[in-house]
Amino acid sequence: MRLSDWQREVEAYLLGSDPAPNPVLRASLRGSAALSAEDGLAIYHHAYRARLLEALRGDYPAVHGWLGDAQFDALAGAYVDAHPSRHFSLRWLGAELANFIDGYLLAEQAAPLAELARLEWAFGLAFDAPAGEPLSLEQMAGLPAEDWPGLQVRLLPSVQWQACGYNSLALWRSVKEQSGFPGTAALAQAQVCLIWRHGLISQYRSLDPAEAQALHGMAVAGWDFAELCLQLSELGDDAPLQAASWLRQWLSDGLLQRHGQ
Amino acid sequence: MSAESFCLGHGLGLRTPYYQAILEQRPAVDWFEVISENYLVEGGKPLYYLDAIGEHYPLVMHGVSLSIGGPHELDRDYLQRLKRLAQRVQPQWISDHLCWSRGSAHQLHDLLPLPFTEESLQHVAARVRQVQEVLERPLVLENVSSYLRSADDQFSEWQFLAALCELSGCELLLDVNNVYVSARNHGFEPWDFIAGLPAQRIRQLHLAGHSDYGSYLIDTHDQPVGDPVWQLYQRTLRHLGPVATLLERDDHYPPLADLLAELARARDYAAAALAGEPACA
Repeated sequence: MRLSDWQREVEAYLLGSDPAPNPVLRASLRGSAALSAEDGLAIYHHAYRARLLEALRGDYPAVHGWLGDAQFDALAGAYVDAHPSRHFSLRWLGAELANFIDGYLLAEQAAPLAELARLEWAFGLAFDAPAGEPLSLEQMAGLPAEDWPGLQVRLLPSVQWQACGYNSLALWRSVKEQSGFPGTAALAQAQVCLIWRHGLISQYRSLDPAEAQALHGMAVAGWDFAELCLQLSELGDDAPLQAASWLRQWLSDGLLQRHGQ
Repeated sequence: MSAESFCLGHGLGLRTPYYQAILEQRPAVDWFEVISENYLVEGGKPLYYLDAIGEHYPLVMHGVSLSIGGPHELDRDYLQRLKRLAQRVQPQWISDHLCWSRGSAHQLHDLLPLPFTEESLQHVAARVRQVQEVLERPLVLENVSSYLRSADDQFSEWQFLAALCELSGCELLLDVNNVYVSARNHGFEPWDFIAGLPAQRIRQLHLAGHSDYGSYLIDTHDQPVGDPVWQLYQRTLRHLGPVATLLERDDHYPPLADLLAELARARDYAAAALAGEPACA
């Protein structure tokens, strides 16, 4: 058999569900007294699936904690059947799990689980994203007064913006802290959860709607500082104070980089 | 073996659970081998620790995704990223495995054995030459543990490796444990394998633990090196002379002190095996 044909047979065997080889593949192999060809193949067959599922368990500990071993492995197995790995690193195997959950489960079951999966994936993205060039409080202290109105910023590459309609953050935290799993619940009001890396340390926090709107305007929609103050004009004379207060918080959190200098 | 290679001495595989302890304790490890793919990322802790540990120790890059024997085109993006990482790390050398880990359509994430045929030999040799052109250095290839043998084999694995070195100019990472595992599984003499390799091409040795499933062995890297592998290691050194040696552990991570004790054992075995050899300059 040509090398590429043989490799196609092995690939199909590894991706398939049956640990017994087809006759063509079996005939291409030679067993030994210590290890038959069938048992040798089964070692690779088992290892392929076990390795992928282990990677997904590692990336989604809270989803795993919620579902338990059997249900998680059923979900992960269906996922890898639908999305076999295409990246050389297992780091990226789970990239589509949340979207897969959306289509795999009934909508009311899928929504909280997919949201938790998105939150966990966001932590992974924040973990090894580029550092960017964080704008510091010290740099801002040196900004001339005339440059403040036109100041523009963007989120640093590690910052992940997650809209949460459920208590996903509490679920994630309970697994992280190994406390009791609280059960899923819809939030009275949807909130934004930010996940990012400050230096080497992963951080997260929820934003109240006003702060989320301000940060989105400033760091995503492209407002400059004057526009932020304008948007807060209903606060009257307190608008610049509130804007400066939030900006200070975002800078000390390590969320922002300078834009459009 | 060259004095330069031996002078690298005895190293450990760099793994995440040991990052902090290595920086704090600066253990007496001669060098570290890093899994290249773990550092093909954009930022964060992996690269931070890589740079910090690289300030104090020589590093070697060891990949698992090259798929040198695969049916696909070589991944040029991967190679370029590997090359950029090498520019950052300045490794002593770059290794991967004689295997295929990617099929025609999908990543298989395993070190799959090749049939040892003339067709495989020509296929792999051509690809090794391409890789070496990109990386601008010899590629070092490791023998894998295997659980399959092709009915079409025209060479033994060691004959295949020797011919590959000759055809492509590659060098070898001889994993002593993998020789032992494959020998048990396929019923050949481990010493035939080692004695059949071109000694001057062996750049590095690997030591690791395996699991015994009765009639066959699996290369699990989750326990200490077994006695038969230590014996094979000593015989290998008596045959080759001094060679850079690396201890691998990939699961059931013990405290760093336990790994350091195992590494000291490797040093002692090497010293005993090499008694009378000229001292490393």
